[in-house]
Amino acid sequence: MTTYFAAVNETALAVFAIVVGVTMVITYFASKRVSTATDFWAAGRGLTGPQNGFAIAGDYMSAASFLGIAGLIFLFGFDGFLYSVGFLVAFLTVLFLLAERMRNSGKYTIADTLAFRLKQKPARAAAALGTLSVVAFYLIAQMVGAGVLIEGLVGIDFWLAVVLTGAFMIIYIVAGGMLATSWVQIIKAFLLMGAAVVMTVWVLAEIGWNPLDLFRDARAQSADGEAYLKPGLFLSTPLDTVSLGLGLVLGTAGLPHILMRFFTVPNAKAARGSVMWAMVLIGAFYVMTTALGFGARAILGKGGEEAAGPTGNFALPSLADELGGELFLAIIAGVAFATILAVVAGLVISASGAVAHDVWSNIVRSGRDSEREEVWVAKIAAVSIGAIAIAIAVIGGEGLNISFMVGLAFAVAASANFPALLLALTWRRFNTTGAVVGVLFGVISSVALVVISPTVWPGPDSEGGALSWYSLANPGIISIPLGFIGCFLGTMLTTEPAAAAKFDELYVRSETGLGAEVATGLTLTGGGGRRRTAAAATTTIPRL
Amino acid sequence: MTQEFAGGAEGAEQRTDIDWVAVERSPEFRELVKRKKAFVIPATLFFLAWYFGFIILAGYAPDFMGREFITDGLTVGYALALTQFVMTWVLGWMYLRKADREFDPLAERAREAALGTAGPGGPEGRFRRGEIVDEPVPGSSTSTEVPR
Repeated sequence: MTTYFAAVNETALAVFAIVVGVTMVITYFASKRVSTATDFWAAGRGLTGPQNGFAIAGDYMSAASFLGIAGLIFLFGFDGFLYSVGFLVAFLTVLFLLAERMRNSGKYTIADTLAFRLKQKPARAAAALGTLSVVAFYLIAQMVGAGVLIEGLVGIDFWLAVVLTGAFMIIYIVAGGMLATSWVQIIKAFLLMGAAVVMTVWVLAEIGWNPLDLFRDARAQSADGEAYLKPGLFLSTPLDTVSLGLGLVLGTAGLPHILMRFFTVPNAKAARGSVMWAMVLIGAFYVMTTALGFGARAILGKGGEEAAGPTGNFALPSLADELGGELFLAIIAGVAFATILAVVAGLVISASGAVAHDVWSNIVRSGRDSEREEVWVAKIAAVSIGAIAIAIAVIGGEGLNISFMVGLAFAVAASANFPALLLALTWRRFNTTGAVVGVLFGVISSVALVVISPTVWPGPDSEGGALSWYSLANPGIISIPLGFIGCFLGTMLTTEPAAAAKFDELYVRSETGLGAEVATGLTLTGGGGRRRTAAAATTTIPRL
Repeated sequence: MTQEFAGGAEGAEQRTDIDWVAVERSPEFRELVKRKKAFVIPATLFFLAWYFGFIILAGYAPDFMGREFITDGLTVGYALALTQFVMTWVLGWMYLRKADREFDPLAERAREAALGTAGPGGPEGRFRRGEIVDEPVPGSSTSTEVPR
């Protein structure tokens, strides 16, 4: 285990305490306003486009983006930057195909869109399976990452770091619901962008303001020389590179915690505006990973490899230490901590929706429960999911490979959730069997293919895979087509006139917003917003 | 925040009074969907082609991607990667512009056709397909402002 400090770093602890303090104040304000299910899961649909854009950026950019990509570039050069490109371009899929349609057709969870025209119980069960699979892999990856990072940067034990991260996450959600979660994500996005800008400027100042010197110096400092600026050092199999690209560009459009964010804005116009804000922020950040990753290589050189660790996750903290010493390192560690908190909170609130709204309220209780009960179950679910994630992360511990877990989450999202959602919204013939078979095909194939991939079985250091004929680390190129084929086969083998009949309503609603859920006007500090907005809604379009 | 997309105070579950099949077949709705597809489908194909062109080159032509051009240190691969960022922002901005100027007014017309004339004082009620079939679909948005 890499421990960057021998003892507990008090400066870093102080920065962490500030992050926790600010987010707890927000949670306190939010807790006084959140009461209904719409408040709890959708923040009253009262966020503006720019606010939601920042929240999406905060929800999306995990420690894997902040520390992971910088580390990959530091270690492997150009291949690390391929992740940056894929993570951004993916938002065009979200913008063109899903953002506004989700806003118009859904209520709290992605299952709402499927269940709109399909049979309630099987459709919700399938969507909940897809949601919980993605969240499980992504959440455990983030929790383990949090533990490793905090242990390495602050000096407190791994298990304690995981427990604290999980505990704060649970408090945000249980007390402040989506309103607190959204504002934690917004603040985190500001912190992350600020940290990236400061480090980029600092790196450029250090190398003499010519961005091209980043590449020249990095190349000179790498044992791989010319090859450092070429693809192929990390992703050595061409088909694997393509498979990864496919998983990234379609996976984002199947991430439940990202799609859920579109339920927090009042209308489709705000939904698409928020994607544009997110694309500007996320794109600017990923451009800056050039300076963070190549800059770490140029400034730290070969000597930095030991401190960066085998995964490269500590390359950026090492760079911060080199540039600004202990205080700057503590600030960067605090930003990384805020980053993880914002992402895990977003993940758990989407999982609580799948458990409480889909499984409990609509499957177990057949929609007969009260809204009060639904919110209570959501809070119990959030605590339970958080506790399970803490337990798995502490027990499974530091041995889990974080990047493969995140890759798996994207693969499941792209193979199981994305095909079913897209086809439900656009294909009249699509039916319940298609959705169930498609989600099952997507989940099972992506998990199975990752299990038999050479990085997992027999292990990361082995020569070749356990199965000689299969060597892909990224399953997307096989599992995504399988997800679509499952949807297609299931649909063609059965007929369901009711699903086709309901298509017109879903289609008109998703494209025009006619009949879409309205905002209740919840804000973090505002007073009578709820009443004002409700009045505006009734005067704009007359009730029938 | 305007409420132009809010269809009513109740959710869709209560809107059994709209003839959805008729709305789906209305010329206003068909025009909206046609115009949207005319942008979204080519734009999606373009960005997927440009992105996968880049990814396939990165996978299968590492030497080409690693070639330095114009100046020392700048590789073809990095330059192509930067074009992906520019493409994402430009296509996103184009979509937003088109949605504001073209798709929203068309969606508003489709809603009006479904609900009767929108706005206070207008006749409330059912989908009135026959009365607005002949109206030209707007190219400009000035005549279709949403009443606030």
